[in-house]
Amino acid sequence: MALFTLQDISVAYNKQNILKDFNLEIEKGKLVSLLGPSGCGKTTTLRLIAGFLQANEGKFLFKDKDYTKVPVNKRNFGFVFQNYALFPHLSIFDNIAFGLRLRKISKSEIEKRVMNVLEIVNLKGFEKRYPQELSGGQKQRVAIARALVIEPDILLFDEPLSNLDANLRVNMRVEIRRIQQELGITTVYVSHDQEECFSISDQVAIMNKGVIEQLSDPASIYKYPETKFVADFIGFKNFIDFDKRVDHEDKIELSKSGYVFVIQKDAQMINLSGKIGAIRPDDLLIRAKDISEVVSENSISGRVKVSTYLGRSFQYVVETPIGDFTVNKEMTESYRAGQEIVLEIPRNQMVLVD
Amino acid sequence: MKKRYLYLLLLPGVLFLTIFMIVPIFLTIGTTFFNESGFTIQGYLDFFKDRYFIEILLTTLRVSLFTTIICILLGFPAAYYISKLGKRTKAIMLLFTIFPLLTSPVVRSFSWMVIIGKNGVINKLLLSMGLIDKPLDILYTPTAIIIGLVHLFLPLIIVTLVGVMENIETDLLKAAESLGASRLAVFSKVIIPLSVPGLVIGSILVFVGSFTAYTTPALLGGKQRVISTFLYQNAITLNEWQVASIVATIMIAVTVLIISIMNGLAKKLNPKG
Ligand SMILES: Nc1ncnc2c1ncn2[C@@H]1O[C@H](COP(=O)(O)OP(=O)(O)OP(=O)(O)O)[C@@H](O)[C@H]1O
Ligand SMILES: [Mg+2]
Repeated sequence: MALFTLQDISVAYNKQNILKDFNLEIEKGKLVSLLGPSGCGKTTTLRLIAGFLQANEGKFLFKDKDYTKVPVNKRNFGFVFQNYALFPHLSIFDNIAFGLRLRKISKSEIEKRVMNVLEIVNLKGFEKRYPQELSGGQKQRVAIARALVIEPDILLFDEPLSNLDANLRVNMRVEIRRIQQELGITTVYVSHDQEECFSISDQVAIMNKGVIEQLSDPASIYKYPETKFVADFIGFKNFIDFDKRVDHEDKIELSKSGYVFVIQKDAQMINLSGKIGAIRPDDLLIRAKDISEVVSENSISGRVKVSTYLGRSFQYVVETPIGDFTVNKEMTESYRAGQEIVLEIPRNQMVLVD
Repeated sequence: MKKRYLYLLLLPGVLFLTIFMIVPIFLTIGTTFFNESGFTIQGYLDFFKDRYFIEILLTTLRVSLFTTIICILLGFPAAYYISKLGKRTKAIMLLFTIFPLLTSPVVRSFSWMVIIGKNGVINKLLLSMGLIDKPLDILYTPTAIIIGLVHLFLPLIIVTLVGVMENIETDLLKAAESLGASRLAVFSKVIIPLSVPGLVIGSILVFVGSFTAYTTPALLGGKQRVISTFLYQNAITLNEWQVASIVATIMIAVTVLIISIMNGLAKKLNPKG
């Protein structure tokens, strides 16, 4: 059963719709991340859940109760901000105790809970310091501790790691996941770092222009994107807009301008009607073309247009009769611009999307 | 760049201040400790035994204190409101706020005479409404001085506070709210503490300004002396320069004392400010 539900939500700023007919259901104890390009409405969604923002239409249900109009301070949801938002006039202890003091909890109990949460975020001994005396990573931990200590029903993160350096980001995301799982807190996590989202989430929602395009577990999204946008967003750089699709028992036959491609019907493959084929640059096979070669199944001949050195591999842009393709290839073999080559799409590497 | 020589740029200003301010101040202070027979603090002892003078000093302190408190009470909410406005409206509101500063204190004091005088607007109104039988004595009392001073200094504290409040991140207020704070709790636990620096600077400006103000108390206070009018009376009317110097020294001492007390208070309230 869902812990909370956003139902047909619409949000508009200055008459411009940011979210429209937005639906999202999240189960208890899960970490769901919202991933999408800048400006797609991730923060807006989070602010809506937190109650900082009112929807123009739609409902927010929490434990089946209508929470749409419940004010922020009555929701008991924790919010972790991108820029930490620690109170500069309060010590670390008082920052963390802030929410507890508002709840009229006894002094000894506050002390116990603050110390306990400091231990969870590995910051014992820092309670007397002030926010200005901490590093970015430590500040973020305090922010997390401050949100955790009130035992929130939902924990909301808005790009909590984007101000930290790369190494620390990896450590902190492991930490966040560990705490989230240990305490079993339902969490919504916003980021535009794909790896970050995939590595810590139970489910990832890919958003585009105020709509969730796909919501599933990270592996499914990675392997089976459902829409062209999602595919593009997670690195399927090549798209073929087929003219025709014929489904057989165990395979699908697709054609474009007379060129025919076959893909394996996979048990997990979801898309039943899509006619756009998507392939990652790493999954295309490229080889030099022999003059006498007759191009075989799933292959098409073309010419290298651009060759770029990427360090570990080469990236080629290949021109073919059905459009340009981007191909990555380990650097052992390299092809010159202008060279005739053959591209092959392996039977099991292309996905069909809408 | 020869940074070493940059300090030469300070020289004209420093010289000017030294010759026309620092030296005269020390001379003034110096003369109060000497008479024909050498070093003495007799002048001060006489002063603090004088009931009349103590009365004036206390009245001045009281007037300054009330002015400061009223300015804070009126200025704080107004400043908060202004700090929340959009860029354009904020600029306009700030312009209105400092507008009174552009008129002379003399003009303003005369306006207040018209409003609070025996036959002034307020008394006429209250009489005609039958709320009082005889006109209230407001003009030429400490209350009149306070009214005039509040009018004079309110813009100052508002502008100072707006400056500080603008810099409070809105995320801090949201964070407090999400932790369970009501509007009131956000105000008292986040906005007020973070406004302390502005509050201290504003209060110092208002208090010291009220303590040393001359025109407003001279015009609205009537026979009610404050320390600056007392000083003027001694120096110009009575030609008692020794007494005037002692009064001036006491004023300086009180001012320095007030500033250090306020700073100490600020440190206590906001250890990391
Ligand atoms: N206060 C506001 N007034 C008007 N428009 C706004 C406001 N806040 C956000 N928007 C608009 O709403 C859209 C969604 O904004 P939102 O902050 O939710 O994006 P986001 O997905 O969090 O992006 P990012 O990854 O850059 O943080 C954007 O087009 C933005 O310009
Ligand atoms: Mg955002």
